[in-house]
Amino acid sequence: MELQRAAAKISLILIVIFLLSFVGLSVEAADKENCLMCHKYRQIGRIDEQGRKRSYFVSEYIYDNTTHRNVPCRDCHTYINKLPHDPVTEEVNCANECHIKPPFSSENFSHKKIIDVYNKSVHGIKPTDSPDLKAAKPYCKYCHMNPLYTKVEEERVASTSLNRCLNCHERKGVTQAYKHITHRLRHKTSRSPQEVVQLCTKNCHADLDLMKKLRVSEESMEAVETYGRSIHGKAVMLGSQAAADCISCHATNAIHDIYKKDELQATVNKRNRAATCRQCHTKVNDRFVRIDVHSSVGHSSKKPVLYFVNLGLGIAFYGSVFGLVGLAILESFGRRRDGICMQIKKGTSWRGVPKGGPKNE
Amino acid sequence: MATSGENIAMPADETKTDDYYTYVEGVGNIPRDIYKHVKSDPLGDLPRYSIHIVIQHFLTFLTFLILASTGLTLHFSDLWWSPYVMSIFGGPDVARLIHRVSAFFMIAASLYHIGTLIGGTMNKIMKKEFDVKRTQIPLLKDARDIVHDFRYFIGREPHRPKMYKFMYKQKLHYIAIIWGTFVLVTAGTSLLFPETMATIWPNPEFFQDLARLMHADEAIMAITVVVFWHWSNVHLVPGRFPLQWSFLTGRITREHQIEEHFLEYINNLKEIPEERDYIKKILREKGHDTH
Repeated sequence: MELQRAAAKISLILIVIFLLSFVGLSVEAADKENCLMCHKYRQIGRIDEQGRKRSYFVSEYIYDNTTHRNVPCRDCHTYINKLPHDPVTEEVNCANECHIKPPFSSENFSHKKIIDVYNKSVHGIKPTDSPDLKAAKPYCKYCHMNPLYTKVEEERVASTSLNRCLNCHERKGVTQAYKHITHRLRHKTSRSPQEVVQLCTKNCHADLDLMKKLRVSEESMEAVETYGRSIHGKAVMLGSQAAADCISCHATNAIHDIYKKDELQATVNKRNRAATCRQCHTKVNDRFVRIDVHSSVGHSSKKPVLYFVNLGLGIAFYGSVFGLVGLAILESFGRRRDGICMQIKKGTSWRGVPKGGPKNE
Repeated sequence: MATSGENIAMPADETKTDDYYTYVEGVGNIPRDIYKHVKSDPLGDLPRYSIHIVIQHFLTFLTFLILASTGLTLHFSDLWWSPYVMSIFGGPDVARLIHRVSAFFMIAASLYHIGTLIGGTMNKIMKKEFDVKRTQIPLLKDARDIVHDFRYFIGREPHRPKMYKFMYKQKLHYIAIIWGTFVLVTAGTSLLFPETMATIWPNPEFFQDLARLMHADEAIMAITVVVFWHWSNVHLVPGRFPLQWSFLTGRITREHQIEEHFLEYINNLKEIPEERDYIKKILREKGHDTH
């Protein structure tokens, strides 16, 4: 009897779950808890204490096309534990484990590994940092939700070839999962060099006031400018896909492990420079790595010879322009005075009518 | 043997300035300003450049324009026009290939020129025709010519100096081209093969920086000199407008030869009998004595 009642109870629960699963079909797979019941409304939001309008609208269409489309809301927004929930005060923590199991792994997925790499890098917040520096340091969402950083241009993978996946795989998600991998196979970064440079410079490394406040080194102050003057920077600025961007040299394939050049782990440290350059310059040697990549000729103290050569060339340049143009004008004036015309007619330019000046006839 | 006009005796009845007349054996006294009365074929009357020089100029001319337009666009990558120009070449990844291929042809033209120079000079020495005054080698006279010509331009001299086949401007420009080509090829090699050149330079960290600086600055200087000076000399200045055909025909107009290369014209008179006949006719028309 006991057994029968237990079996009936379990059956009932299973039937309810089975029926509920059909109910769930109408909403998105990731939104098991139906957060979109409220967040699907475009007008949902409030005006905060600073008077800024905050929108809490979540576009299903956009979310379904993001990398996180299969992650349930509360896997990241863990602090929400009742409905309707309290005002959100916490940021999401990307190091959380979510209820997604990557292929060929039994553990839940987490960004923890890359966050560890990142926290050790120069951009990770250290206890010794000044409050200014702590506030200025970027966190995951700074780069990965930056306006530049909305959607990877995945059109590079031909949609026709991806459609072939559907010959065997039934779910459309396979195509997106495949794109997730393939855009990372093409370059060191999924982003174009132009996007990487813009991401690092705009609002941060090109903001000299901010850099001054953070008391960065003199080299870092001019890093953006000197990069722009280097052949790498110029080529990237004009659209090259082959030339080096910031990440090409300043991080390994872990992308996030950027260190100051004095640190031993830094890719631009003297010890590691050969390996870093070898990514493109295959014939690298120990003399080649001594060449300055962020070169500047603007310092008479650091590079006096170059500074004065540059100065001399500048003087020679203006000297020759004005000197030669002056000579050409003087010559034109001097010869026209003698009766020459600005044309070729019957094979001769001389009209034989001197306009003042020495008369020879 | 060819000689310049320097040792030509002056007739005693000189009425104008001392060197107004130049005496040529078999022709007579040539007045300095006879160029105002001669007829000229715009395509050129007298030989100036061999076919080799014409080909070399043409190669340099084409490659220079391509090198300048690709290189300048890259150098001024932060200016508004540069992305548009770069897109014409198909972006920087294609443009640098174009730049390198053009550089190869320009170096080939330079080597061809050196070959022509050595071969031509050897040939002339063998035939005992070599005359340093008909070459691009700068002489002390060129310095005197500069002063003389300046004095003429400001009205202090009645006539332009009697100059050789290559006048001071051309010699100056030629030296600039030798220097510029040397610097641009050396620096360009360093930019193209930094790994290899790093093993050759005594201290690569300095020389690579110098190469970056010199390649760009020398190129801008060369472009500026060509645009502002060479083009004005061959296209714009009075008497040369709208262009000279020498770069294609290798020949110079009679009028130009007498005005700016008078001593070379004297050589032409000695070497070309038809030219002697022509100038005698003109001299007779103008009432000068001829033989």
